Amino acid sequence: MALVKLNNQSISEVTALPAVVPIGSQVLLSTATASASASLSFNSTYINSDYLVYKFEFINCHPATDNVSFTFNFSIDNGSNYNVVKTTTSFVSNHDENDSGNNFGYQDFDLAQSTDYQILARLVGTEADDNVSGSMTLFNPSSTTYVKHFTSTTNNVLSISPPSTEEMFISGYGNTTSAVNAIQFKMSSGNIDAGVIKLYGIN
Amino acid sequence: MEHKIINGISIPLTEAEISARLVDEATWSEGAFGRSMANLRQKRNALLSSTDYLALSDNTLSSTTATYRQALRDITEGLTTKDEVEAVVFPTKE
Repeated sequence: MALVKLNNQSISEVTALPAVVPIGSQVLLSTATASASASLSFNSTYINSDYLVYKFEFINCHPATDNVSFTFNFSIDNGSNYNVVKTTTSFVSNHDENDSGNNFGYQDFDLAQSTDYQILARLVGTEADDNVSGSMTLFNPSSTTYVKHFTSTTNNVLSISPPSTEEMFISGYGNTTSAVNAIQFKMSSGNIDAGVIKLYGIN
Repeated sequence: MEHKIINGISIPLTEAEISARLVDEATWSEGAFGRSMANLRQKRNALLSSTDYLALSDNTLSSTTATYRQALRDITEGLTTKDEVEAVVFPTKE
């Protein structure tokens, strides 16, 4: 291969890297794009033992129904049922657009040994520019020894008056030693009108 | 067509999934008043907390602050619908 010199303009002639060059360990596995969709799910095609860590990026998820929550649940039967028992914890930080108030503290969006869908963001609105974005990390879902820890951070425009920005921190575990092999994201009511969820595997 | 996305692929919902969804959405709608009251109380409590230091025993609470804090405590009185809750105007701290 001919030597390619970098000239601060382009490295487009590089078509392959030698094996000794590290290319990172975060691999994009799948991209799901909502279009008036009831839910966005990933199953054992991607959620399996190939990676120890899975990361989900939520990008501009916009609901069809006003004032809904963005939620998720795990499955241990490849998506036939989304009902894994979870214990979770939550705190939020928010600030009004007109600076009239702010808040930080523990909030009652947690679950205690519940199979309910876990809220990742609340009061998501349907104004044209409303959306929730954020990420969630799931650790070692294929383990048959340990519970399934996850952590999530989202940011959202609260659909209240005055509008507020709210960062919601949710973490917890699926209290199962069965392998988690599917995950579903949906709004608490109505469709996901638009938005993208990207799934990455991390070694 | 009602559909879900699995691994990036659009799949039509089954009749059972559509029925289950209708039940979920009815349950969600029934809880609207409770959720709006919870949101109202959260904001009210935060505003009360932000003036708690003025009500300590070594401080004399001004009448305007006392009135403001009482208005915050009373803000949930008489509310019976989601629309009423969403129309609440918070008192202004002077």
